[in-house]
Amino acid sequence: MSDGPTGPRPADSPIIEARDLHKHFGAVRALAGVDLSVPPGITGLVGANGAGKTTLIRLLLGLAAPTSGDVAVFGTPVSRDAAGLRAKIGYMPEGSCLPRDQTAADFVAYAAELAGIPPAEARRRASETLFLVGLHEERFRYLGDFSTGMQQRVKLAQSIVHDPELVLLDEPASGLDPGGRDQMLEVINRFREFGMNVLFSSHLLDDIEQTCDWVVMLDGGRLLRSAPLDPPDDGAAVSVEVFGDPLPLVAALTTRGIEVTHDGRVVTAMSSSDDVFVAVRDSLAASGSSIRAMGADLRSLEDVFMAATRESHG
Amino acid sequence: MVDTPLSSQDSAIILDRGYRSYDGPRTGRRGAMAAVVKEGYRRVLGLRRKAKRKLFPWTLIALALGSAALLVAIEWVSSTLPVSLDTSGLFPRYAGYFDFISTVALLFAAFTGPQLLVPDRTQGVLNVYFSRPLGVRDYLVAKAATFGAVILSFWLVPQLLLHLGFAALSPAGFLSYLGGTTDILWKVPAAALVYLTMHASLAFLAASFAKRVGNAAAGFVAVLLGLNLVALLLQEAGTAPGAKWTSLLALEQHPRHVRDWIFDMEASASIPAQAGFGPEASLMVVIGMAAVSVLLVGWRYRRLT
Repeated sequence: MSDGPTGPRPADSPIIEARDLHKHFGAVRALAGVDLSVPPGITGLVGANGAGKTTLIRLLLGLAAPTSGDVAVFGTPVSRDAAGLRAKIGYMPEGSCLPRDQTAADFVAYAAELAGIPPAEARRRASETLFLVGLHEERFRYLGDFSTGMQQRVKLAQSIVHDPELVLLDEPASGLDPGGRDQMLEVINRFREFGMNVLFSSHLLDDIEQTCDWVVMLDGGRLLRSAPLDPPDDGAAVSVEVFGDPLPLVAALTTRGIEVTHDGRVVTAMSSSDDVFVAVRDSLAASGSSIRAMGADLRSLEDVFMAATRESHG
Repeated sequence: MVDTPLSSQDSAIILDRGYRSYDGPRTGRRGAMAAVVKEGYRRVLGLRRKAKRKLFPWTLIALALGSAALLVAIEWVSSTLPVSLDTSGLFPRYAGYFDFISTVALLFAAFTGPQLLVPDRTQGVLNVYFSRPLGVRDYLVAKAATFGAVILSFWLVPQLLLHLGFAALSPAGFLSYLGGTTDILWKVPAAALVYLTMHASLAFLAASFAKRVGNAAAGFVAVLLGLNLVALLLQEAGTAPGAKWTSLLALEQHPRHVRDWIFDMEASASIPAQAGFGPEASLMVVIGMAAVSVLLVGWRYRRLT
């Protein structure tokens, strides 16, 4: 972690770095020794409730100070210039943040002014941003009259109206119906076009999979994983659930040089070659195992998260 | 074939500029604080809000301005009567105007403080403020500045109307009247500042802890008027040597006591004056309340963030 910017930052420099980051609230340990380096792009921040996601976001905004350790955004330690960094950051909180008695246009323009945009430009940008999130027609309606979905969009609009370099989204799809969720994710995906980096906190792992390039997993305040989201291109995998003992099948696959893992009665065979299905067929025949289910192994982010959690808990 | 030139209407096109990056100037903390002040002014006055939000503040403003206009009208009527009447003792002038509209001003302060603080807190808007280059201190200073601007306007604009009205009706002439009453140019603002300090201290305290605007406003009025009653009762019932100190609880009376001092008036019937306290003691109470308010409100908001 650098001590601060000394010149133009390389385009692929980490946007967020944390070193041995701890945050305690009395006896409660919200973050424990988090070491993190997040590249530019859209990053998912996943974890169960209480995992430390919101605490990490608050530390990035400089709204709370770490108990120990360092955190930096764009190479600048947050402790050094939190207000300066916040001018470059947009934040969409999970909970309500909208005044009921203002119109969407007025509030989003006000949010832009709070970030230092002059008033006339703030009004123009508010209009454009509300257009982007699909609320152009409704921009002169009062926020108290908006549905949950429309309020989420206004929250998103206020977080980007000042053209931030990094947007922190805390559960942006919370409370939305499936249609609204898809539209929200579509808009977030468009942030790439505008050169914005996004840290997207969610416990809906499907949303992260649809949107993100990188994923940070937290559990109980500890970092489980910080890695690219795309699964490594290491060939094919086939999962087979068998009736009875899976070990004869495991042995048959192993003798054919296939990498095998098994969890209960589910055996997963992986190979860099494309003939893994053939190897599985032959091994099933050789071992006499009966198949209950079989298919290409499409490990979801949830599987990865659960596996990482299990591993972490020993 | 003759080409017909395109009219401006024909050549008009609609451009979707879409979302654009912004490379222009950014005003930083000062700009953010100015935006808070501007938005606070709008909220208190109900500007860019539904009509029902305008009703209460503008009714009080109309009462304040109407009172000043009424006093000027009375002055005009008395000046046109065939017999000369000395109305100076009958109807209030600059110092008396503070008493004349004190209830209206109290209600306006009770409304303004909570309107500035409570909705931001209860509706979660603080999350937006503090994700911008704005600290807790900046936010509270901007809100206090808004309160000061609104309340001073409320006190001073009618007083200005009163002053210009009296000057226009003065037998000595407009300019002579203004030249002869330069002292009120500092006395009225100074007295208004004392009222403002006491009202702001209590209104912000109530607004920082109450969950609803109405509760905060009611708490503000109840504390100011209730403590008057408590102080009066304790003072009258008390026979112990220290009983007079209970008169200092009458918070609403201290600005009035200081105002009498500023206007070189004889000590009024205010509770601290009756107990034998000088205006300096009342001024110290006002300053003390402001200090307590700054500490408690600051503590409350630091905890919130």
